[in-house]
Amino acid sequence: MSKITEVKENVAGGKTKLVAGLVQEALDEGADAREILAVMSEAMGEVGEKFSSGELFTPEMLLAARAMQKGVDVLKPLLAEEGAPSYGKCIIGTVEGDLHDIGKNLVALMLASSGFEVIDLGVDVKKEKFIDAIKANPDVKIVACSSLLTTTLTNLENTVKGFKADKANKFKVLVGGAPMTRELANSIGADGYALDAGAAVLKAKELVC
Amino acid sequence: MNQRENFFKMLNGEMPEFVPIMTDLYKICVIGTCVFDQPMFGNGKDPFGVNWIVTKEGAIPEPNNYMFEDIADWKKYVKFPDIESMGLEEAAKEEVASIDRDAQIINVFSCTGIFERMASFMGFENTLCALVEDPDSCREFFEAMADYKIACINKMIDVYQPDMVTYFDDLATANGLFMSPAVYRSVIKPAHSRILAAIAARGVIPNQHTCGKCEEIVGDYVEMGAKLWNSAQIMNDLIGIMDQYKGRLIVEGGWDSSGPASYNDATAEDIVAEGIRCAKEYGPKGNYICMPVFMNEKGNAMMVGGDPRFEALLETWHKVSKL
Repeated sequence: MSKITEVKENVAGGKTKLVAGLVQEALDEGADAREILAVMSEAMGEVGEKFSSGELFTPEMLLAARAMQKGVDVLKPLLAEEGAPSYGKCIIGTVEGDLHDIGKNLVALMLASSGFEVIDLGVDVKKEKFIDAIKANPDVKIVACSSLLTTTLTNLENTVKGFKADKANKFKVLVGGAPMTRELANSIGADGYALDAGAAVLKAKELVC
Repeated sequence: MNQRENFFKMLNGEMPEFVPIMTDLYKICVIGTCVFDQPMFGNGKDPFGVNWIVTKEGAIPEPNNYMFEDIADWKKYVKFPDIESMGLEEAAKEEVASIDRDAQIINVFSCTGIFERMASFMGFENTLCALVEDPDSCREFFEAMADYKIACINKMIDVYQPDMVTYFDDLATANGLFMSPAVYRSVIKPAHSRILAAIAARGVIPNQHTCGKCEEIVGDYVEMGAKLWNSAQIMNDLIGIMDQYKGRLIVEGGWDSSGPASYNDATAEDIVAEGIRCAKEYGPKGNYICMPVFMNEKGNAMMVGGDPRFEALLETWHKVSKL
């Protein structure tokens, strides 16, 4: 088995303690940093699909994302020199009034593992804080907002409508959370809806490509 | 037939005379769990030192404030409180005095189950990874925490003399279990099983609370001795579960808590319509208790009270719940 295949398999298997060493070995054997990043992203894509289909569960997906992160840490200096491929910036947060962060963190981790530059605003994020982050990052491609609670759906709606009211905004809006549905997402003007973290990555890529 | 008689008929696998609704059926006691497990009515620290923040839909540990991040370190940080010195008798005096044992089922809540407790210490992501990366340390933690929970539950049973203890541990999201059934069974279930057995050993009815889509392990709950499953949300095959476990398990829930009847601006008509759906769809199975969940500006109407829409629901419920 080639070293690069080993990297891929160990990312998919969530081997957080092995991936960094394997990535270094692959580099030492002459593999290109971008090629290694590509196979790791491929592994994460497969993990995301298996998660969405119910074949894998959250711990396995989290471990895969963490394993990939270890590999990316090794590649970072090289990628910085070469200019790393990226899907662009994504600002993410749980809307005002909602302190739940499990799903949001998972989506952030998966997006980061898949080549997005993630700016995580955390939980209980007011519309104004999203807007400040957007102003500070005019090249943002995706703004992702979530709400776990039915009580904060109105805040999600107001936040999304606030983005959409400014016609100058070119980024896409992705929404999710337990009470969210595709219909509801459409009705509030979101560009995309994702049921889970695996689907969020696919949808985010679709929106920027 | 009063609420108690109707409930015990259902518990014995017979067809009840009417479909119970939680608010009529139970006297819910929460002071014990506030003393032993977590604050519920205001921000503050629990007996282990975890800071909790109260939201409209319940209290949660303060995000991103972890006691430790590696489960192998748990013994360095977790100090078990002395439950005898925590003053439950005094704290629960008013709640105990308000109990009418003839009218309702006395249901004592035991919140922050062993899985939730681990997440309260080290966050969900670290917890979920630990289940797979270090199952031995997790098992050791869960067994120790089960000992604590059992001691607390025994103390609450002494003080309240309840009919039922509802043990809360949320193991699922709206889409499925947090962890695979195999991981649950191997790492969490042995300790979980001891807690339910300890409740039953005192002659008290074990009620298992797990939100979300957890149908894959409902059979495990039955096997471990749970007689009720709350909050039985609609992403599970509730009808199938009622059929499969008739006479062994009462399904408590059924409310579409992510749907329009649980939105802040739900009208009384929305709520009454959801109540009627629950009564008609699940009630005839004979092993169902309705658990309404709707929100107002103060929080969950069932917990905070004072919501006129609730009176509308109950008025209709009493008409449509006869079997």
